[in-house]
Parts: sequence; C-alpha cells; structure tokens
Amino acid sequence: MSEASRRIFGQALAVLFALMLGTVVIIIVGESPVRVFATLFEGAFGSPERIAGTLLQTTPILVCGVAACISFRGGLFNIGVEGQLFMGGFAAVLVGIYIPLPPLFHVLLGIAVAMAAGMAWIAIPAFFRARYNANEVVSTILSNYVAVLLTSYFTIFIFKRPGGWSETSQILPSAYLPEIFSFSRLNWGLVVGLVLAVGVHLYFRHTPRGYAVTIMGQNVKFAEYGGVDIRRHIMMVLLASGAVGGLAGGIEALGVHHRFMEGFAPGFGFDGVIAALLANGHPIGTIGTALFFGALRSGSLLLEVDTNASREIITVIQALIILSVSAEFIMRRRGDSMAAERRWKF
Amino acid sequence: MEILERLFNVALIVATIRTTAPILLVALGGSFTTKAGIFNIGLEGQMLVGAFFAVIGSVFTGSAWLGVLCGVTAAVVFALVFVVLVVTFRANEVVVGLALNILAGGMTISLMKAIFGTRGSIVGQGIVGLPPVRLPGASQLGSFGQLFSGYTPMVYVAFAMVPILIVFYQRTRLGLHIRVVGEKPEAAEAQGLSITRIRYIASLLCGVLAGLAGAHLSLGYITMFTENMSSGRGFMAVAVLIFSNGDPLKVLAGCLLFGFSDALALRLQTFGFPSYLVLTVPYLVALTALFALAYRSRPRIITETMDSMKRLLRTPARPPDTTRTGDR
Repeated sequence: MSEASRRIFGQALAVLFALMLGTVVIIIVGESPVRVFATLFEGAFGSPERIAGTLLQTTPILVCGVAACISFRGGLFNIGVEGQLFMGGFAAVLVGIYIPLPPLFHVLLGIAVAMAAGMAWIAIPAFFRARYNANEVVSTILSNYVAVLLTSYFTIFIFKRPGGWSETSQILPSAYLPEIFSFSRLNWGLVVGLVLAVGVHLYFRHTPRGYAVTIMGQNVKFAEYGGVDIRRHIMMVLLASGAVGGLAGGIEALGVHHRFMEGFAPGFGFDGVIAALLANGHPIGTIGTALFFGALRSGSLLLEVDTNASREIITVIQALIILSVSAEFIMRRRGDSMAAERRWKF
Repeated sequence: MEILERLFNVALIVATIRTTAPILLVALGGSFTTKAGIFNIGLEGQMLVGAFFAVIGSVFTGSAWLGVLCGVTAAVVFALVFVVLVVTFRANEVVVGLALNILAGGMTISLMKAIFGTRGSIVGQGIVGLPPVRLPGASQLGSFGQLFSGYTPMVYVAFAMVPILIVFYQRTRLGLHIRVVGEKPEAAEAQGLSITRIRYIASLLCGVLAGLAGAHLSLGYITMFTENMSSGRGFMAVAVLIFSNGDPLKVLAGCLLFGFSDALALRLQTFGFPSYLVLTVPYLVALTALFALAYRSRPRIITETMDSMKRLLRTPARPPDTTRTGDR
C-alpha cells in the first residue's frame, strides 16, 4: 500500500472508531443509533432539495476550511475564522445596502470588501505573531468573541431595520449572489469555494512562494536558513487566511441571508477549522470533509424535528472524529525520546 | 465625579474578587500543565463539563458538595483524555484541546436536552448552590467586612491556592519534577524521571482545579447552568498562562486584571452602556495584555546580536587573543 492510501485507510479507520463512540453517546442520550443515523442520512440526502440543502451548508464550511488550510500550511493556527466570517459578512451587507451599483459590480465589490474586512480583522493578531511571536491561537480565539459582540452591537444599535428585531435591512437585489437552482438557496458561492480549494492547492503545489510557505510550515528553522523571510511570510499567510475567512462571510451574506442578523452563521468557522484538521490541512481533502460536515449539519436539522436528540449530537460526533484522527496520525512516530519531541513554544 | 465615586467603591472590589475567582482557579489549574511543558487550550472545555456535571450532581444528590465532586470528576476525565492523546499518542496539543472544547460544548447541550428536556439553560430544577461563608467577626468591621466575608467557598479556595502553589513549586519534590519536565525535559530524562508520568500527574491536577472552577461557576458564582457558560474564561486563562509562564503570583496578577475588567464591565452595564460593547471589554483587555507582553518579551536574541555587533564595531579587528585562557 502506498503512503497516501495507507494514510487515507488509517483516517477511515479512525472515523469508524469515532462513529462507534458516537453510537455509544447516542445510546447514553437515550436514542436509537440506527434511527439517528438513518435520520441524519435522510435529512442530508433524502431528496434533491435536501441534497441542495446539504451543499448549501457545505459552502461556508468549505470556504472557512480553505481559510484554515492556508494557515495550517504555514504552520500557523487561525482559529479566528469565525470572527473573520462575521466581520466579512457584516461588511458585505453594508456594501449591499448602502452602495448602489450595477449587478455584477455590486457583488464583486461586496465580496472584495468582505475579504478586506476579514483581512483587517486578523491584521493585529497577525502583526503581533509575525513580529513579536504573540501566540496566534489564543489571540484569534479571543477576537472571535469580540467580532460576534461587535457586529451584534452595530446591527442592533446602529443599522437595525426599522421595526425589525436585531437584524439589518435587506441588501439591494443587485448585490445578490445568484442562485444555481430555483428550488434552493444554494448559490454560486459553492462554485467559488470549489475553485478556491483547487486554486489554493495548485498554488501551494506549483509556485515558489507556495513552496516557501509549505517549508515554513514543516520546519521554520530550515526555511529561514533557506532564505525565506519568516516574518513576511507569517504575515502574508495569516492575512490570506483572514481574507478567505471574510470571503466566507461575504458569500453567506450576499448569497444566503441577504442581510445581517444576530447569530449570523453559528459555528461555520469552527466547522471549517475542524474540516481542515480532518483533511490534514489539504485543500482538496477539505472539499470531502466539508461535504461530510455539511451533510451532518443538514441532517441534524431533520434530527431535531424527528427525534428527541438535539442537533448538537453531531458536534459531539465531529469532536470524537477529530480526537480519534489526531491520535491515529501519531501512532507511527512511536519510540522516539519524549524529550526530543518538538514542544509548543510560547 | 459622582459617577466615578459610584463606580469605584468597596462594592467594586468585592465584585472584582467574585469575578476573579473562577478564572483564577482555572488558570492555576493550567499552571500545572504550563509548568510541565504542555500547552493546554482545553481548559475551556474542562471548565464547562465541570460546571455542567456539578449541576447534575447537585440536582441528583441534593448536595452541593457532591455536585462539586461530580464536576471535578468530569473535568478530570477530560484532562485524562487530553493527556492520553497528547502524551501517549503524541497528538497535537492544539488540535486535541480544541476538539475537547467542541466536545464539551456539544455534549453538555445534548445531555441537557436528554435529561432536562430544555435548551439554553438549567435554572431551578432543585439545584443546590454552595452556601456563602460568613466569617465570624466580619460583621463588626462594617462595610469592610464584606471584603473578607460572605463569598462562596470556592472563592477562598481560589485565593488560598496561590500561596499553596508557590510552596508546591518551590519546596516539594513533585513541584520540582514538574518544573524540570517543563523547562529541561532532557535533564529530566537523564535523571531517570518519567516525563510521561509527570505530565499525566500535572494534567490530572489541572483537571481538578478546572473542575473546581467550573463547579464554582454553576454552583457558587451563580446557581444555574447555561450553554457555553464558561464563555471564554478558559481561553483568557490560557492568555494569562502565556505571559505568566504559570508562576502563581503572576497568574494572580493577570487574573485580577481580568476580574477587574469583568467587574467594571458589569458595573458599566448598570450605567446604561450597551451590554454588547461592555461585554467585549474583558476580551479586549486579554488581547491587549497578550500583545503588550509579547512586545515586552520580544526575542532577546536580536538585542543581544545588536549589542555584540556594536562591541565588535567599537573594538578594532585583531587576531583572537590566544593567551587569555584563564578568563572564566
């Protein structure tokens, strides 16, 4: 068996193990596992509408996943995708409401502003990581909380729709991201996400800068000796990651909700991060894992209606998958000295 | 001026002590893992399951203390899973920590729905909270008595833990071992210390304190459980740990800062500031502290290299002096 297929086999085994643990959890919660999994499958793939619904959920997870992939590739953890998504979505909605433009330009401007907003939101943590080595895991996590509170504040206190409840007005129709099918809110954002995943993959595979970032992710010292400007590349990687996070928000805002509201996109950023982790930071693999998580999410909507289990049971399953996969890819490295192992440096 | 007077008074200090306690407990727990050289981003999740199972224990046994025990047990189980994956299976600390946090969030909500049939929060339902401790003689001190008396037990535990941990790290064998494993694992290995064993112990001790922090949150600080009620305190604790390097006194200082900003934020809310903005204050303080201290401890190597280069430039180049051997 080749290295790649052995790894995929190992991952599949780990996922299977996690699903078994998930079964146990479902039994503890007092539901029938068969019924829960059948309902999840039915909810995700039961009809063309439901498949479109699954793809609709997949889109933001995929884009957020690619954002996380970019940072993982450079050996960095952007856990703040959720916050960038909120900022990007909010900025796109403002463009959609207040700047009237012809259709195509309006969408493009909205998307561009969303990306700029995502980038701006990660800029400070990125700067302090690149320059002073401030831990980016914690700073991006903490800025998520700020982003969610801040956008809620702006929505409720400044841009609230007259007579509405914690939401802005609708964006102008010229800013709508067009839908693919008439029967679903599924939009061209999915195509953007797919193209982006492939594009990022090719970029890292075939360009000198992509190679430099990959080397930096594997071994910073080696990259530095090889002449890679580490600070510059850390900054660029995090900014690019933040921009894609903002893009995810722009797609959600212009393609799905057409306005901003409290609890705009609950957990898509985190789902994207764990989809990217499950794919081991590989953009093409993230397409698959995002689809998997999208299906779980979409199925969980029916789960809430048809069974007594809460939809958070899928979060449990996702976490169990990550845990068992994280253990799996380490087993191969047994036997070396504990002391020599690379430790997390503050 | 009147506003300032109403803002800064004894009640604010009391509120600061109350808001500091949960984050102090969880941060002191994290100090064990930090000292042992593990980056523990999973504190948030341990605290959350601690809070949830404390409520479960309290409801089903009718005793607040058995509730605390349940909470601690749950957090220790999470800490055990963390350390098994990170130390034995050598999984990435960040990945495992994040996954456990997600697991804690999903699990508590699912179980809440399965057991109580509700979403959002558990209020009432027969939760028994921890009783406040009235110190004898405190009532004679007038309004200053409330500075020392009337808190729930975990507040005292949290502050008492600071000197205990100082002594633990300075004066006990286990404390020393934990520090060696964190600072110089090679030395520990050469001494025949089991790094695995020490890291297991450190992580489990961390679980105990994180569990106490959680139990304090749901049975002491307030008497209810809400979805994701740890609300980032575990992450703030990690921020404190990064710039304190787990030293108990510095941890206390950092936590007092967050506790103060938290208390101030709550206070400002009553003055009519929008809660959404006010609630960002503790996170912004944490971020600012993280960045400021990263700036302060910027790589010394650069300044050192600069110094040595300056020295080189000042002294004219000459062949290395081979006669000076007794230099050290």
